Amino acid sequence: METILQAILDVTGVSAALFFDGAGRLVCHRGHAIYDRALCEQLSGTLVKTIDTVELQQEDWETISARYADGKLLLRKVVAGAAGRHVLAVVADTTLNPSFATVAIRVAANKLRKALGGGGASSMLAGTAPPSASQVPPPLPSGSSPLPAGSSPHLPAGSRPADSGPVLASSGLSWSQASSVGLSRVAVADPASSAFLSRAAKGLARHVGPMAKVYVEESVRRVSPEAPFSLALGAKLLEDLAAQIEDPDDRESFRKAFAKG
Amino acid sequence: MADLKLVAKLPEVKSAVLTDMAGGFLDAVREADGESVAAVTGFLMSTMAQAGEDLGLGALLGISFAGPARACLIVVQGDSVTTAFVEPPASITAVEKAFDTSLQGR
Repeated sequence: METILQAILDVTGVSAALFFDGAGRLVCHRGHAIYDRALCEQLSGTLVKTIDTVELQQEDWETISARYADGKLLLRKVVAGAAGRHVLAVVADTTLNPSFATVAIRVAANKLRKALGGGGASSMLAGTAPPSASQVPPPLPSGSSPLPAGSSPHLPAGSRPADSGPVLASSGLSWSQASSVGLSRVAVADPASSAFLSRAAKGLARHVGPMAKVYVEESVRRVSPEAPFSLALGAKLLEDLAAQIEDPDDRESFRKAFAKG
Repeated sequence: MADLKLVAKLPEVKSAVLTDMAGGFLDAVREADGESVAAVTGFLMSTMAQAGEDLGLGALLGISFAGPARACLIVVQGDSVTTAFVEPPASITAVEKAFDTSLQGR
């Protein structure tokens, strides 16, 4: 994977490239000396918050770009089968040629997707069945430096701790239709349940702001800890969410909005 | 402060919201839930500014994100922030250029 990131670094103006998973864990990185592992790990954590926020507005995002006075930050989503959502981030200075960078990032994203064991592009994945649980990311290619044990779900099988398989599987949660609504860390029974969660997150966002999605995810885990969330648990979920709203008027407004359907 | 109606006149801009730097809602055109968009924009600005600070990239000038059907452009203009939803997403470059040239400073 580091070879793939190195190809991006060869584009004029690129200072660093990093690849992290949906939970913000750094998988690998390449960059100039100042972009060390600690900085990249810190950046991954910050960018995951950004991505969660973007998903409140646009669940099917593919690229995010931020323009600064002295450079740019470019993100591209990489969805790879059982490995779930990953993100390729590129840090660049003002000399970057955006066209060259776009091509290089697309090529790298495709290679990273293959390296993770995924098949289709992110947009192609929407609406398809969840991947088989037996799909395990392949070992890293020789020459790449694996991360410390436990820091990534993509370590070679031999060095992977017994309980460190794909993160989502070990956490009891799984990718599902929910990923298409941005609630990527909870499992749902069907598309209708997924749409319900999306609506609940949007409704809650009016009262609690961008953290609404996180509250919905936590609430789903509370009301349906064992099985995928289904519409039958809708009323219980809404009550649980309403309890997160401190202001009694806002709480009532949230309840009424859902009572109206 | 940006003239939101001028922004919304661009045919590719489907809706637009004007906020302050902290995500406070100021105005909206063709956007039913402007306050929600403003809150998200404010949080997004704060996390991306933090990322830029960590990386030494200087002041945040704008953010854009795109999917298969639409894109969103967030532009900082003085002490206000304009969020514009653009369709089709391929038009985002043209809208960004419009912000940089004719709309800037009006």
